[in-house]
Amino acid sequence: MKPAAVWAFIAGDSRFAPLAVALAIAVAVLLLRGAVASQTVAVAFAAIIALGLAAAVFERV
Amino acid sequence: MNGWALASTSFLASAVEAVEALTIVLAVGVARSWPVSLRGAAYALGVLALIVALFGPLLHLVPIDQLKLVVGIVLTLFGLAWLRKAILRYAGRKALRDEDAAFAREVAALRTAEDVQADRIGTITAFKAVLIEGLEVAIIVVTFGAASTVALAWSAVGAAAAVLLVALAGVALRRPASRVPENAMKFVVGVMLTSFGTFWTGEGLGIAWWGADLSLPVLAAFYLAVSAVLVAAARAPREARA
Repeated sequence: MKPAAVWAFIAGDSRFAPLAVALAIAVAVLLLRGAVASQTVAVAFAAIIALGLAAAVFERV
Repeated sequence: MNGWALASTSFLASAVEAVEALTIVLAVGVARSWPVSLRGAAYALGVLALIVALFGPLLHLVPIDQLKLVVGIVLTLFGLAWLRKAILRYAGRKALRDEDAAFAREVAALRTAEDVQADRIGTITAFKAVLIEGLEVAIIVVTFGAASTVALAWSAVGAAAAVLLVALAGVALRRPASRVPENAMKFVVGVMLTSFGTFWTGEGLGIAWWGADLSLPVLAAFYLAVSAVLVAAARAPREARA
């Protein structure tokens, strides 16, 4: 099985959704290192993923 | 709550996949013969059992925080893909999956194949359908179960119940389960997978969620609300033009 097929199997055909997940993780790591309150990080984390979903719904595939 | 939520999500996800696999198995059975169809399904179940037996226990060798992070990311990606597809279908931007049409397509293809090759093609078709759909179920069950042995039990029970129920329905009806509200199930499973995925990825990163497990229904309500808005928004331009 090719890596591209495995990737498509897990993430589907959207490019924005995986990017949003990666961005959410990066932002969460930066905020946690900056000693930002966990609840604030949690809200930002979920919000970025939701924005990624919105972008994925409207993206052209 | 967590156990029931795990089992319910696993049940719904497995039911969606089982219905898709059942459609193909039934089509091969009707177009060729039941031994041909069931042979393909049995081979696939054997390969699936082997994959789960080989890779399932390996997950417990990974430290729990790293495991939660990896499992959370996979579940989030899985959930977003399901949710996106369900939203696009509700908004009318993607055709709803039609099990009757899929069934008729497979039957027609197998009936036109040369007799000598048709049985082999039938077995391979049933094998591929059960293996691919089963693999999705296995990933969901194993990743949910990675958190603890109890979680694995809840997740496996949910999946087993769904597969058993769909298989019994298939035996009783001998027709594809076209009345199953597949998109609604996919929508709910997408919300649940994304919520669990967000929660576990966050825990893996070191986020302390408000109320611990109590954050899960809050996350589910949030993603449900966002998805409902997206369905309306994706539908709006089409209706405005009409």
